[in-house]
Amino acid sequence: MAKFYDMDDIITDEEVVSVVFEKAACGVGIDPSSETDSVEVGSKVELPFWLAHELQLRQAVSMNVPTCFNQKTRLEIQADSACVDLRSRCPFFYEFGCKIAPLVGVRTIGPLLLSAFKSRYKEVLTKAHTAAFPAASKHLTILTKEETNLYEAAQSSMTAFKRWRMGGPRFQRASVLGRKRKSTD
Amino acid sequence: MAGQSDPHQSLFSAEEVEFIAEDETVEIIPNLRMDALNFICGDFGPFFPQIATQVPLWLAVALKKRGKCTIRPPQWMSVEKLTQVLEAERDSQRMFEQLPFHYVEISRLLFDHARDDIPDVYMARSLIEDIRDVRFHKVETNLETLTERAFALKINNLSAMEVNIVRPFVGRALQAFYKHDSLELIPDQERVSDRRPQVANNATRRHLRR
Amino acid sequence: MTSESASTPGIDGDYEALISTTDVELLKRAWRNEKAAPEILHFESALIQRIRGQIQLMEETVEEFSGSGIDPLSVSLYQMDLDRTQYLLRSYLRIRLQKIEKYTFHISNNSEVQSRLSGQEKGFARRCNEDLERHLEESVLSKLPDNYRDILKQSLISEENDMVPEPHLDTFVVCKSRRFLGPFQLDGSDELLEMKPDDLCIIHYKSIRERVQEGEIDLV
Repeated sequence: MAKFYDMDDIITDEEVVSVVFEKAACGVGIDPSSETDSVEVGSKVELPFWLAHELQLRQAVSMNVPTCFNQKTRLEIQADSACVDLRSRCPFFYEFGCKIAPLVGVRTIGPLLLSAFKSRYKEVLTKAHTAAFPAASKHLTILTKEETNLYEAAQSSMTAFKRWRMGGPRFQRASVLGRKRKSTD
Repeated sequence: MAGQSDPHQSLFSAEEVEFIAEDETVEIIPNLRMDALNFICGDFGPFFPQIATQVPLWLAVALKKRGKCTIRPPQWMSVEKLTQVLEAERDSQRMFEQLPFHYVEISRLLFDHARDDIPDVYMARSLIEDIRDVRFHKVETNLETLTERAFALKINNLSAMEVNIVRPFVGRALQAFYKHDSLELIPDQERVSDRRPQVANNATRRHLRR
Repeated sequence: MTSESASTPGIDGDYEALISTTDVELLKRAWRNEKAAPEILHFESALIQRIRGQIQLMEETVEEFSGSGIDPLSVSLYQMDLDRTQYLLRSYLRIRLQKIEKYTFHISNNSEVQSRLSGQEKGFARRCNEDLERHLEESVLSKLPDNYRDILKQSLISEENDMVPEPHLDTFVVCKSRRFLGPFQLDGSDELLEMKPDDLCIIHYKSIRERVQEGEIDLV
């Protein structure tokens, strides 16, 4: 409830989940393959997470494990976690994982999130503090939202420190140093 | 209004950390006579030519800028001492030599405003830079070893500025570890029986440095 | 410096600390704690009152000095001391106002939190609440069906106020211990933590929030 106005949380709820209907539903046009406005028992439909969750609570559907947490992704992450493009799979990989793990009854999602984060966060850390901007920006395109936030947190505090250290005469060099990003301070 | 935390929010700006450090005391040798100053932050002086006295750094810098004193750089800023510190920092993986909590800010203020009072100023400056680099590299290396949920992380001997640099990142990272290494990710039906042992196993307290 | 203990319950018994700590030091500590804590802390009313008095006195003194031929150097130094103290005070008050704005609904629905505010802050919180309520009412809520017009609840069937942003007490904060703290339990775990004076630690705010309030631990 503290998260009611959290934009990222709202967007995460929009992630699509595939569900199987366990009850027939009439008068709803949510199954694009159906000719009528009803859903048969056993139909497989893609729904936004928030709706799938509500329906599952009413035992109308059961959720399948989204592809971004399936065996294939898991193997890829195990092989070379830092290079996997998680953003294209799900920009809210971790948040979505946390939401869905308890609902789909798959024990492996939790450990998957942890191991992915564990190995990728090191890369984020090193890149944020050391890499020149062009090198880092390529890496940035494969990061999830949370990883990008982390990167930016590390990067901006380092930049602020460097700006302060180079400062010399106060309030004068900023235009030279601050060219890369818009000055927000 | 939104309850989310701002990733760019750095609690204290580098300038604010410097502001805090400006209250550290330093020894000056005035070249003027001046009555005692009864400030809100404390009483200083009276000042007599050639008689050393202790004042906060901001006051020292203000007097120095007006040519009214020389500043005696603190002992730890001597080339000899800094060389020792640098060697010690390089030699050890974990232990960090003690420097003042505000060594980054104090040294920068003195290098900026009292360079003629510091013997071997270039050497001292580059030693400080090296020490900071070595230390920061160690901090990074230690951060890379974080692998699991931690409830608390001791970071003794980290300096004020170092804390300020790593805070936004470490805070978020710990939060993420905390969330992902969490009980709630275990499916509902299995959670109850697993609860206690999970807490005990996962909740190790780590020491970033000792 | 005789009425120190009034605003700082934490160092009550600590005579050493008490006599060697100036109000500016105390204000600086309050400022840092307030800046670093995710929630609004108790208003340091006695301390702020003393500081305000000292600032006013100093302003008068500086004015007097400038008119009476005291050397300009001293005057400018007094002015600097004054500026520094005022900066701390303003920043302290501003952070609190920002927190009040951010958590308006949370504060106005929680009397415990309200009790941490000064009289003026309570007034500010009340006006924030009214303005925000009126704004939401006019721009959104009045256009929604009856069941969805509450400002705090998503709908009539919500059991609790589920639209109220609250401070995240599980934020990790950096803190420094002021004294030896025997093993204490960390929130949500069986772990015990022991802190020596000046130990620096990154920790869940909620695990130490009482100790911050007691003055045993400082946020940095």
